[in-house]
Amino acid sequence: MSNDRATDGGADATADDARRGIAGVGAYAPRFRLTADAVTEAWGQFHGAGISSTAVPDADEDTLTMAHEAASRALSAAGVDPASVAGLTIGTTTPPTEEEAMAPRLASTLGLNESIRSRQLTGSTRAGVDALAAGLDMDATRPDVDAAGPVLAVASDAPRGAPDDEVEHAGGAGAAALVLAAEAPGTVTDLAEHVSPYPGTRFRGRGEAETTGLGVTSYDRTAFTETVAAAVDALDADPAAADAVALQSPNGKLPYRAAGQLGVETDAIHRGTAVGDLGDLGAASPLFGLAAAIDDGADRVLLVGYGSGGGATAAEITHDGIHVEMTREGDEELSYGEYLRMRGDVTAGEPAGGGAYVSVPSWRRTIPQRHRLRAGRCPDCEALAFPPEGACDDCGALVEYEPAELPGTGTVEAVTVIGQGGAPPEFIDQQTRSGAYASAVVALDEPDAADGADGEEGGTNDGAVSIPAQVVGTDPTDVAVGDRVAATIRRIYTQEGVTRYGFKMQPMGE
Amino acid sequence: MPDAYVIGAGQTAFGAFPERSYRDLFREAYENALDSVDRPPATNEIDEAVVGSLGVGGRQLGLSGPAVTEHVGLHNVPCSRIENACAAGGSAVRQALQAIESGMADLVLAGGYEVMSDMSDDVTKYWLGVSGETEWERLTGTTFSGVYAQMASAYLAEYDATVEDFGRVAVKNHENGAKNPEAHLDFTCTLEDAVEAPAVAAPLNLYHCCPTSDGAAVALLASGDVVDEYTDERVRVAGVGAASGRVGLADRESYTAIPASETAAETAYERAGVGPEDLSFAEVHDCFAIAELLAYEDLGFCDRGEAPRLLREGVTDPDGDLPVNTSGGLKSKGHPIGATGTGQVVEAFDQMTGLAGDRQLDDTRYGLTHNVGGSGGAAVVHVFENEEVGR
Repeated sequence: MSNDRATDGGADATADDARRGIAGVGAYAPRFRLTADAVTEAWGQFHGAGISSTAVPDADEDTLTMAHEAASRALSAAGVDPASVAGLTIGTTTPPTEEEAMAPRLASTLGLNESIRSRQLTGSTRAGVDALAAGLDMDATRPDVDAAGPVLAVASDAPRGAPDDEVEHAGGAGAAALVLAAEAPGTVTDLAEHVSPYPGTRFRGRGEAETTGLGVTSYDRTAFTETVAAAVDALDADPAAADAVALQSPNGKLPYRAAGQLGVETDAIHRGTAVGDLGDLGAASPLFGLAAAIDDGADRVLLVGYGSGGGATAAEITHDGIHVEMTREGDEELSYGEYLRMRGDVTAGEPAGGGAYVSVPSWRRTIPQRHRLRAGRCPDCEALAFPPEGACDDCGALVEYEPAELPGTGTVEAVTVIGQGGAPPEFIDQQTRSGAYASAVVALDEPDAADGADGEEGGTNDGAVSIPAQVVGTDPTDVAVGDRVAATIRRIYTQEGVTRYGFKMQPMGE
Repeated sequence: MPDAYVIGAGQTAFGAFPERSYRDLFREAYENALDSVDRPPATNEIDEAVVGSLGVGGRQLGLSGPAVTEHVGLHNVPCSRIENACAAGGSAVRQALQAIESGMADLVLAGGYEVMSDMSDDVTKYWLGVSGETEWERLTGTTFSGVYAQMASAYLAEYDATVEDFGRVAVKNHENGAKNPEAHLDFTCTLEDAVEAPAVAAPLNLYHCCPTSDGAAVALLASGDVVDEYTDERVRVAGVGAASGRVGLADRESYTAIPASETAAETAYERAGVGPEDLSFAEVHDCFAIAELLAYEDLGFCDRGEAPRLLREGVTDPDGDLPVNTSGGLKSKGHPIGATGTGQVVEAFDQMTGLAGDRQLDDTRYGLTHNVGGSGGAAVVHVFENEEVGR
């Protein structure tokens, strides 16, 4: 099947101009790494062919928080106002919940409008590239939405398998996001899809947590190469002309096996894959490879998603200057034991005894604060309040606050490290998995101080409002009074099976 | 308005007594309080009772006042439980004072109790956290050690202080507590112990934190109209002050002061007509070492940032100008939440009536007790006077 979007609307110049291209790319990988050597030390062997290390999410990260990291970087790279986004597509094989959509919460954390169109694709590692395809499909004009507005296509994944399974050894974690907008520097020149029935190469039964495959090497290889080659073949593009090939990478060898049939150089594949140091990024694999390739200077990229079943989606992308914001470097290696802890495989979860109970309905009421740090401005004296409830801190009036958006940056005013034994019950799970954590009081910057570190040191509160927050993404003992931090989204805790997502702070980049 | 006097005060030992019931503990404290009175009242002479408790463990959360007073045979009187986190005991004493000063009662029991050692660590930590700000602050994974540690981090950043100064609080209070037969942690420690102990919540370590204890304490307060019927050894309640504060730390103007303590102290000094320079001793709320430093400054013992100097120079040692926490404080004597504030009154009463044994100070004309709830959401300060010394 070929679906040639570049020419379908060619007769209509106006529609052509409005067609979305790629305006910005974001990518994110967690900072923890498990090396092949560490797995070999534990198991005597390592089944992740062509992989030297895999990225491991922190205990309070999952595919939703990584999607937020990648998507917020993509919006920033594209210079797109979140409120102008018209659509959101998400591809993943490991959503935090098997049933319950990610898009509403992701849209909320990113500050998108509630009138957006949203689609979640799963069930196949192809879902990431399919999120791009679904985003492009939103070109079809519908009367109820702004069809011309930008669309966010996000892929986020963290594949897991049984401890000695190839899927587990190869499994990494990461997310990538594209902003699709009209008059963008990047063009999807063509897109094509192909399906072919190849059961058994990679699957996860209903209710199961671990993905596996039959491991029939030659069959698996044929399923992969035949399907991706067919999709690429259907493209109106010359594969050999690509500077880079962002090809699905379940491990570090399979993509190169397909080079011959695709008619591309192995160098080009190397430029478009991140599997070697991050591992199998599942649905995020091709889009992350695309981000890496563009970041590396590739102007013409062949993008190929593959998923078991099997099916492939291929696209050719050319550009003249897509901005990429990417966080991919690891800064902390885990031992295999630490890895098992961090993934929650050998920890007991929340102990009996109860935690601070914030009911789901009451959490829902505070979502603008939990997700976007929305403060309030006192209509009487203009002071800021967070949360925007209760009497004004400044003038004492009992008012209804006007919403005030903050830049989400701030300065640490007070901080402690909660060590083993110091965590309240509902945070025991985080602590047993991830170790000590930093809990701080942070003075948030005023709305007009978005860019400016004021250089202020010491424990004075010179920000608009101060909030309590964990500081993550760094060694907790490195967090000090005076540090500059910026908000991100992490899991706060899970009670009654429902994960509460909310802001935490992380050190600001230089 | 009649004056109010503490005519007797008693407590159980503070410690870990997981097999004892809260009623049993309360009874022992009550009997000890009666024993401390020259001519003890009959139970049915008590006009009213106020009992402080957080209700740790969830036992008898409702009607927990009458549940303990009935156990000592006190029936058919106005009786209420007061909950103000760790300041429940101090608040109960203040409430008793109000009943007397208003003329509604002549003899009032102010008591408190808590049982904390019969639960798993996890359940205990749940109860320790419920007096913090639970919708936002606690959701950053802190309990009180974390919040006080945040204050400590701000104090270290703002002033010329070191973790050794926190250690000095532990050394002093353990030295005092080792002389107190009722103390929970009745051992001494060195500055090295107190600096190198395992971290609990950086920069605070194990020796910078008080224990959680079981115990009960009872004070008996009488109006000036009837005090002579019971005793000559009495202590006048010269002044009291109390204030509420922001429950969550991030909502406060400063993290290196507890405004509720400042206000409570100002009010108590004003009512007593004395100042911090007139005090012979003080029992302050040292749930964490940083809290004792903040107390010195909030209560006017020194200027801001000067608390470390007081410790380094031994000003608050038993032989210093202003001995602080001769009982051992929360650090060594222990911290059974609802009983802590009334337990402080027991030490004040003992010091001012010559019952403090090896810890006895000379010339105790004015004494102060300082009781804080949560990380500063409530504070109560009492100033007591031994009128004999003044004569």
